[in-house]
Amino acid sequence: MKNPCQQAKAPILAVEGLAVDYRLRGSSLPTIRDVSFEIQAGEAVALVGESGSGKTTTAMAIAGLLPPNAAVSGGEVRYRGDRLPIDDDAAMRPHRWSEISVVFQGAMNALNPVHRIIKQIAEPCQLQLGMSRDEAIARARELLELVGISAERGRAYPHELSGGMRQRVMIAMALACSPSIVIGDEPTTALDVITQAQILKLLTALRSQLNLALILITHDLSVVAECCDRVMIMYAGRLVEDGSVADIFANPKHPYTKLLIESIPNPEHGKRMVRPIPGDPPTLQHRPSGCAFRSRCPSAMPVCATEVPNLKRWEQGRVACYLHPPMKHEEKALANA
Amino acid sequence: MTKLTAESRRHLRTQAIKSFLRRFLGHNGAWLGLLALAFFLVLAAMPGALVGPLQTAITATGDFLIPPSTQHLLGTDEIGRDVLNLIVHGARTSLTIALVSTVISLIVGITVGMTSGYYGGRIDAWLMRTTDFFFVIPSFVLALVITPVVLEVIGRGGDILGFRPSLFVIILVIGSTSWAFVARIVRSQTLSLRERQFVERARVVGTNDLNIMVHHLLPLLVPQVAANGALVVANAIYTETALSFLGLGDPLQPSWGTLLSLAERAGAASSGAWWYFGAPGLCVLIVSLGFVLVGNALDDTFNPRRRAIP
Repeated sequence: MKNPCQQAKAPILAVEGLAVDYRLRGSSLPTIRDVSFEIQAGEAVALVGESGSGKTTTAMAIAGLLPPNAAVSGGEVRYRGDRLPIDDDAAMRPHRWSEISVVFQGAMNALNPVHRIIKQIAEPCQLQLGMSRDEAIARARELLELVGISAERGRAYPHELSGGMRQRVMIAMALACSPSIVIGDEPTTALDVITQAQILKLLTALRSQLNLALILITHDLSVVAECCDRVMIMYAGRLVEDGSVADIFANPKHPYTKLLIESIPNPEHGKRMVRPIPGDPPTLQHRPSGCAFRSRCPSAMPVCATEVPNLKRWEQGRVACYLHPPMKHEEKALANA
Repeated sequence: MTKLTAESRRHLRTQAIKSFLRRFLGHNGAWLGLLALAFFLVLAAMPGALVGPLQTAITATGDFLIPPSTQHLLGTDEIGRDVLNLIVHGARTSLTIALVSTVISLIVGITVGMTSGYYGGRIDAWLMRTTDFFFVIPSFVLALVITPVVLEVIGRGGDILGFRPSLFVIILVIGSTSWAFVARIVRSQTLSLRERQFVERARVVGTNDLNIMVHHLLPLLVPQVAANGALVVANAIYTETALSFLGLGDPLQPSWGTLLSLAERAGAASSGAWWYFGAPGLCVLIVSLGFVLVGNALDDTFNPRRRAIP
């Protein structure tokens, strides 16, 4: 977004009309609907939303890592123009890790407690790149140095490392096969603020060093402000707004985005420092008709109940709301009738 | 540098083993159990140290039913054979049967339990129903039915994989009836382990199912398997004794159970020859107690909940 030349280039990842369903006791529940976006090489994009908004499901669908009770029911994902077989685990295997890799949430659980970390980092190198054991270990040592851990520490077991170091190990593991896209699933959630800042700094540095595209899943807008170029806001399985970080923070368009930004604690507001969004997000089983946010939306109109607003280009970004572009009077009357 | 790494790695490993042994041997039970087991293992491995080869055991060397004396430390049986000599050779048979059948039971139990827990779904249902079958059928009764049938079919002559047929059958029967317990434990552990994220991660980076099971899950199952394995051995000794007592053992290779059976038939109890049935009985008791003690100590050592944080 910053660089107009970059935008003209073909995107490294294009998601088009992605739809994911969850199966629950025989019935299939639409979870993700109509998610479309593009990511350029080296770009950092945040997927922001409440719990259950579908941000993790979207990202995992892209990596072909949906749980067994979920399935892609529409749309496609293209990597450098080629369609990714995201609904076929076996076919996805060669793409995963060498093209798209994942930094898992909760680093302690993602590391096997009985193996030394160096062995665990070397594992994808052996499996995906067909390296010999020694080559893979050498590569793992390089990776450890890359994420700021001395290669000697590779002999440690996961429980001997601090939370921040474990997260670094997870990042090293994600970088093992030199991917061009890294998905970070709340990579800093379990960390304290200082460690969080260090990890974000590391991610930003690695990004420019290796020209990585980053998809950061988070519910923490301060993380977004710190290290992303673009934000995509999700609500109830749909993208509601997409724009550059500066734009979204200075001039949020969707009412949900506005409330989300207002809900960041602000000491200037005195006693009402934290302003939560009233109401609850809709559950999977009871998705309302029309715009899913309308029950909590301060500016809901009758038209919001009838039809889902499309994600339309508006100003510098995209937004899915009937407020944008503002309707003329006669149009409004017609739509609300 | 690589040399240094290898050296310090070895150092780390010795440290870990040392700390494990320190904790393990901190239990008095572990000491007792290990001493008892070591004694009987040496006895079984080198019968010549205390008595002669098997041939000396089956030849009568004294009068019948002599109480313990300096010449016959544990007395003689109803046809004048040295009871001590028989016990030493019985240890050999009993321990071989117990240990080999435990190995079989562990292999089958781990394989079934891990497959079942890891794959879940239909495979789990079928394997667990099979396990339930072996679980609810009293293994002793099953062994009682299988042993004579199999012996009838293959006969008592020749040898199979280096074992005499009747010995082999008993090993097989005990092994195949005691695995259900192991399978259940392994399955429940696997069920919880497979949900851990590192398994998911391993799968994501392209590790196949077999590798996940062998390299990621098995090492985490070792503590449980080791602790319960010791109990399986104890159980195997009991079953073996009971089967032989009922006359399903090999008459040419006396085990403790066979001796008990002979003692019973000779009317040792009513004629006051306490040494004849007391000696093998006590041996069975000591060895199974030894395994139980070692198993409990292993369980205590491996179980972090019972371990005080240093």
